Amino acid sequence: MKEANPEGRTGRIYPDPRPSVGSSHRIARGSLLLLLVGFYAISLRLAEVNPQKLWVGLPKMAGWAVKAWPPSTRQLDVLILRAAETVAMAAVGTTLATILALLVCVFAARNLTPSLLLYYPARWFLNILRGIDSFVFALLFVAAVGLGPFAGVLGIALHTWGTMAKLFAEQMETVELGPLESMQMTGANRLKVISYAVLPDVLPNLLSMTLFWWEFNVRASTVLGVVGAGGIGQELKNSMDLLDFPRLLTVILIILMMVTVIDQLSAWVRRRLL
Amino acid sequence: MSHGQAANEPAIKIVHLKKSYGRTMVLNDVSFAVMAGEFVAVLGSSGAGKTTLFRCLTRLIEPDSGEVYVRGRALHSARGGDLRMARRDLGLIFQQFNLVRRQSALANVLAGRLGFVSTLNVLLRRFSTADRQLALAALDRVGLLEHAGQRADRLSGGQQQRVAIARVLAQESHCVLADEPVASLDPNSAASVLTTLRSIAHERSIAVICNLHQVDLATTFADRIIGLRNGEVVADLPAAGFEAVAQAGIYDPITLTAPDVGQSDVMINEKRRSY
Repeated sequence: MKEANPEGRTGRIYPDPRPSVGSSHRIARGSLLLLLVGFYAISLRLAEVNPQKLWVGLPKMAGWAVKAWPPSTRQLDVLILRAAETVAMAAVGTTLATILALLVCVFAARNLTPSLLLYYPARWFLNILRGIDSFVFALLFVAAVGLGPFAGVLGIALHTWGTMAKLFAEQMETVELGPLESMQMTGANRLKVISYAVLPDVLPNLLSMTLFWWEFNVRASTVLGVVGAGGIGQELKNSMDLLDFPRLLTVILIILMMVTVIDQLSAWVRRRLL
Repeated sequence: MSHGQAANEPAIKIVHLKKSYGRTMVLNDVSFAVMAGEFVAVLGSSGAGKTTLFRCLTRLIEPDSGEVYVRGRALHSARGGDLRMARRDLGLIFQQFNLVRRQSALANVLAGRLGFVSTLNVLLRRFSTADRQLALAALDRVGLLEHAGQRADRLSGGQQQRVAIARVLAQESHCVLADEPVASLDPNSAASVLTTLRSIAHERSIAVICNLHQVDLATTFADRIIGLRNGEVVADLPAAGFEAVAQAGIYDPITLTAPDVGQSDVMINEKRRSY
């Protein structure tokens, strides 16, 4: 390891903080690799990954694709109405979630919460909402309020509430302390300070997030129909159950068009906001 | 505005104010009073405790002990609504301006009325004609009327600081605290900001306390200078007198320390320097 002139240009040897790779390091690295290999071996097994089955199944799918062409135009008006239902579910659910999130996020933001006694419960509550997918909520609400899009709206609203409130709170935590203090010194109470100094700063971001979640929920709510919570997903499931492939293809094409248009629209609005 | 107070009662009175962080004494028994219409500079080097003094006065941080009276009203013991009422009379100007960036200059000045307007009206951004006129007049006073509709973060530093002054004017505070208001400004803007602060003190009988670290600015603009070193008041003199004393070499103009050992009265506190 010795070089001809280890002292470099300054004639001085500097202690280099680079850690030496000792045998303990090599053992740690080796066991980490073993652990990873073991983890994936077990995961592949549990997930029942079987390329053989895919190989057999693929021709079946190709057969459906052939049978699906041309896409059916029967009851196109009903399908479009169902797609509109999906967009509406997402819009109403997301709006409801935004209002609820705005009310709760103040308690879940460390710099704005009136007390840590409210901060932690607020965080836990939001984590629970976030942890349960809108699909699961919809399943519960179908049982409670019956089949139809209203169950979907409630499912979307609850899950999105948790997610958005957390994001809103994090956004509010990035606000500068200075303007808050100068508003406080005018004798303003907490609500006035938040309304005057925090909201104007975060509003464009909050609106952008709301649009993103509406867009996300349109995509998410296409599957809510599968559990009977209304929208285009219901037609997807019906066509599949009846093995009506031309109709299935039409449904998929409508979903693709709907999602693309909404993605573009939301992206365009968000660009103008920020 | 009530003028029911005694004629010789100070606008702000600070009594035995103390604050320490751990074992470090940041404010050590600070007492002084400022009369209405007086422009006082608090002079001291970085770390002398100037900012801590202001933050304790306004209760943005809690002092360990001591009393603060704003026009006879006890601020040190006020809570909740009482504290908010007391703060209305204590305008604060910051080194970093601390305006609401995405709002107009006028909206920032109207913020001075937040303590007077109902919460619902604040949420709906509804201000009375009288309040709006007051805010516009305040902007006019600091020479920024034509910038009323401009976004705060589009203004220059000096202009932003003058918007902050207009805000405390709209607040109709009887005391104004300015924490290093010109430290981020170029010399011309600094002079214009300090001139404005001095003239509002004299015109409107407002007690202005201004933190500075430059002796020449303090002696040029202030009526009276309070020297702060290691959290203690080491000088409290009329500006003219201070200049004479500074020139006589009793204080080092920058650090407010005595240049030579054995220089009488200012050395009393020297032993506390070690922290």
